[in-house]
Amino acid sequence: MAELHVENLTVAYGGSRVLNGVSLHVRPGEFVALLGSSGCGKTTLLRAVSGFVPVDGGRIAIAGRDVTNAPPERRDTAMVFQSYALWPHMTTAQNIGYGLKLRRWPRPRIAERVAEMLRLLKLDGLADRNVTQLSGGQRQRVALGRALAVNPDILLLDEPLSNLDARIRLELRYEIRALQQRLGITAVHVTHDREEAMVMADRIVILNAGSIAQIGTPEEIYRRPASAFVASFLGADNVVPLQATRTERTLEIAAGPDHDAVSLPLGEEGARVEMPGSGPVAAHFRTESVRLAAAGQVPPDALVLRGRITQAAYPGGRWRYGVAVGGAVFLVDDDDRRTVGDAVAIVIPPSALHCFPLRREAAGTA
Amino acid sequence: MSAPLPTEAAGRPAALPRSRGGDGAPALPAARTGPDWLWGVLLVLPALAMVALFFLYPLGLSAVSAFQGRDGGWTLANVVKAFELYSLDMAFTLAIVLLSSALVAVLSVAIGGYLTLGENRVAVTLLRWLYRWPLFIPFIVAAQMMRSFLAKNGLMNNLLIGGGVIEPLQAASLLDWRGVVVTFVWKQTPFVALMVAGAMASLDRSTIEAARDLGAGRLRILAEIVVPQVRPTLVVGLILSFVTMLSVMSVPMMINPNSPTMITVDMAYRINAHGDYGVANALGFVSYAMAGLVGWFYLRHGVRQGGAR
Repeated sequence: MAELHVENLTVAYGGSRVLNGVSLHVRPGEFVALLGSSGCGKTTLLRAVSGFVPVDGGRIAIAGRDVTNAPPERRDTAMVFQSYALWPHMTTAQNIGYGLKLRRWPRPRIAERVAEMLRLLKLDGLADRNVTQLSGGQRQRVALGRALAVNPDILLLDEPLSNLDARIRLELRYEIRALQQRLGITAVHVTHDREEAMVMADRIVILNAGSIAQIGTPEEIYRRPASAFVASFLGADNVVPLQATRTERTLEIAAGPDHDAVSLPLGEEGARVEMPGSGPVAAHFRTESVRLAAAGQVPPDALVLRGRITQAAYPGGRWRYGVAVGGAVFLVDDDDRRTVGDAVAIVIPPSALHCFPLRREAAGTA
Repeated sequence: MSAPLPTEAAGRPAALPRSRGGDGAPALPAARTGPDWLWGVLLVLPALAMVALFFLYPLGLSAVSAFQGRDGGWTLANVVKAFELYSLDMAFTLAIVLLSSALVAVLSVAIGGYLTLGENRVAVTLLRWLYRWPLFIPFIVAAQMMRSFLAKNGLMNNLLIGGGVIEPLQAASLLDWRGVVVTFVWKQTPFVALMVAGAMASLDRSTIEAARDLGAGRLRILAEIVVPQVRPTLVVGLILSFVTMLSVMSVPMMINPNSPTMITVDMAYRINAHGDYGVANALGFVSYAMAGLVGWFYLRHGVRQGGAR
């Protein structure tokens, strides 16, 4: 169990910057997920921590020891790779025991530790099996066992579940998390899967274009996204432009072509606004946090957008509708069955609204 | 590997005669198997004929005539004579080729390993550019070069004397068995290194990174992670170069013509000086036996590899 300090880290590949002064502190025993779309620098950050990517500036310390310029073999990290990276010429037991062999453990102790790992990872009876004969899920378990066997300071997980099929992926999510908590090991997990990050991590680091967009617990980043980018990335990707004025306790929204003027409360149960004064805002809301109402029956305490259903689908549980409002189409979940062509109102409760100044939003997503 | 091709190709044209031969005959199965079989054979025939004519026939003829006297009767005299006169050369040949193969193995793994694991970009680029050159130089030219390089007054000794490493009196010619080994290794290493480096380059990089991450140094990664994974390629490369070196005459002829020498030189001598095809063929038969031995080893190795998968 050790802590990881990353300070003002800069990494460039052939002139183009991939990481832009990233700072991060992972506490001992904490599970942190690096989340972002492809090319955001999350894997580079992980590989910089493991030592495979040379660093241009900044500092990395593991368990208080500066390892910024140490080669990978001199850092006490263990990586689990997306491609499993098992050695095909070795058995399961040899794969798991290799790190211990490098540490010159006596054979009986290695055998003991390997047996313990096999038990822990539900791989009993597969010790002498060649790893090429194992299923994907079993292979990734072996890779996890190989990393955990050496009891590393930090466990690094590089999209370890991406190559597995959906059911095994869900299973392994919980297993990895349970194992990490039981062993109390510090872990950094790279993923592009939002839900995976949410259910596995203590804290999530959202990266965008080589910089940290937000760090927080899953609930914090979900409920209080710090920027338009984070809001969109975490599912609040219905965006409606509004003219709004912020007062001390309310957000006054001016009437537009498809909605009436409304005054919404601010704060924990109200709308969240990242701007002072007044001006154009981009209001983000999630498909699942709003509902539809018949055109005439609109509640007074919510923002209501008038539109028409253009598409209907049933993904399971609730209906999902495409609703055209002005020139834009929003996706909205609703309990009731409706028909394409119906005139409806999208009812957005204040707590579902995340507003960001429009100009900054445009710059943020560019 | 090439086996599926003729059968696949044979399956398709069979549709042609079937549709043409639709004269209402109900005996479809018989009509189908006949053309199928015929077309298959027809398609394989040209390749088969080439192999038979230019490989199997001369090989068989040479093997058979090793056991025939000048009068055409069966005899073991040629073989007995070959062993009486040249058993030392046979052992010498096997030793030279085995030693060269071993050195080729070590050097090609070293070159491939450096190309795969080396971190000095300039050195890697330079090595990648340099190591293939001997591939394009024929054995006879290589032998000629080595004669001027390894001789007593050759370039190597001149360099060593000029550099103060040895005294002029210590200069010795390497134009004996050592010269043959040096030439073989110089000529064959690039070939095996090319194959091995290719196999190493196509390895999943993360298997190397996983070992480094757990604390393995580069030599250990080469020995325990990289080489075991490219072993089939390495073995194939070594067997091919074993057989090549076994059949080279120019190098021992030019560098080490005195006894003991390699059996290719003896074969040439039996034919050119004595017109003795019988003993030459018996020597050739010994060559086949040596090549056959490694061939058998290769097949056994290949089968075992296939079984593991």
